[in-house]
Amino acid sequence: MKKILSLLQLAALLAILLLLYGPLAKIGLLPPLPSLFHSGPPQIEDTPVIVQQVKNIAQMFTQTFYDEIVYDTGVMRTPLFQANKRLIFIAKGEVIAGFDLSELSEKSVIRRERSIVVKLPPARVLDVVINPSGFETFIEEGEITFEETKKFHEDARRIFERNARQKGILRNSAAQGRAMFEKFFRLLGFETVDIIIPASR
Amino acid sequence: MNSVPRRRSRRLLVLAVAIAVLLAVNVAVPRKKAPPYVGVRVLKDLAELATVEYNVTKIVSHQDVAWYGDRKILFETAATVKAGIDMNEIHERDILLQGEAAVTVTLPRPRILLFNMKPEHMKEIFNESGILRSDFNNQEKDALLSQGEKDIRAKVAAMDILERAARQARVLTESWLKKSGFETVHVVFRGEGGQK
Repeated sequence: MKKILSLLQLAALLAILLLLYGPLAKIGLLPPLPSLFHSGPPQIEDTPVIVQQVKNIAQMFTQTFYDEIVYDTGVMRTPLFQANKRLIFIAKGEVIAGFDLSELSEKSVIRRERSIVVKLPPARVLDVVINPSGFETFIEEGEITFEETKKFHEDARRIFERNARQKGILRNSAAQGRAMFEKFFRLLGFETVDIIIPASR
Repeated sequence: MNSVPRRRSRRLLVLAVAIAVLLAVNVAVPRKKAPPYVGVRVLKDLAELATVEYNVTKIVSHQDVAWYGDRKILFETAATVKAGIDMNEIHERDILLQGEAAVTVTLPRPRILLFNMKPEHMKEIFNESGILRSDFNNQEKDALLSQGEKDIRAKVAAMDILERAARQARVLTESWLKKSGFETVHVVFRGEGGQK
């Protein structure tokens, strides 16, 4: 009986120590308990990078839109006896707009002595970039699968593109394209440069 | 006679009360997290000509081995890398006109312009944790994929992407200038006989 009581006392003291550690770790005065069992940041294994395809392209990037958003999935209700889920993450990345110059043909350039007319394709969004290093998980509650996270990340990319269009990325891209080509052809000695760019959709 | 066990029991009761109080404190104290900072949205002018695109894949794997159980995870990832030249670096001195029909253009050295790892091209192939281990959370997965990204960037940069980008930039410039009416077009890159 005496022995059991001593053991119980020891266990209780241990529990008190752990419970004292918890709040101090939560407010950042001590490192989180799980980190004491880890040797450092996880390291990936060295695997090769395989080239699947190499393509010649002719894309002129004329505008970039840097964006940063906080994405909140809200509380996702789950079946009874399962914890509700919620994910809040920060996404940082950019949207690139410009011209696909591979669409230029012989008819796109008309030269008459020191005058030139160039018909460019419409400016369009060429890439939306949010790389893994651009995602930062802020709050994660419940068990969220990789496929679910992927869908939220894809949605964040759509938000980036929408924000960029609302900010006028295509209009600015066309204006910058016009200015850049004008400058280039004037450097080539043309006195009259006319750049025609159809309106973007 | 029974005073010692009674005292021990009382001490246990005090300890139990202390545990209950601390449990309540643990639940009540919120986890400290800095509020997310959202930066300014900025539109910026560019003048970059991407001439080559590499599509690459990589397996990102991690094994967390510990005496109390293992955790293993495996992803299939893909990235698109575009390289080319920055047209903003072309100045007046880089274009030498020789009469009406001949021109020499000095282009800047190509560089990697864009790196894109799209979420839709990533797959979690394997994910297993021992009974005593917690599952990989999002933060850990982000960290592992970020390492994969860093590795792809380094390995692609060591490939022949910049040489190919230069070749294609030369082909494109020659073709466009010939379309613009120049009969003789000579394209060089900075540092190879062109302007420094």
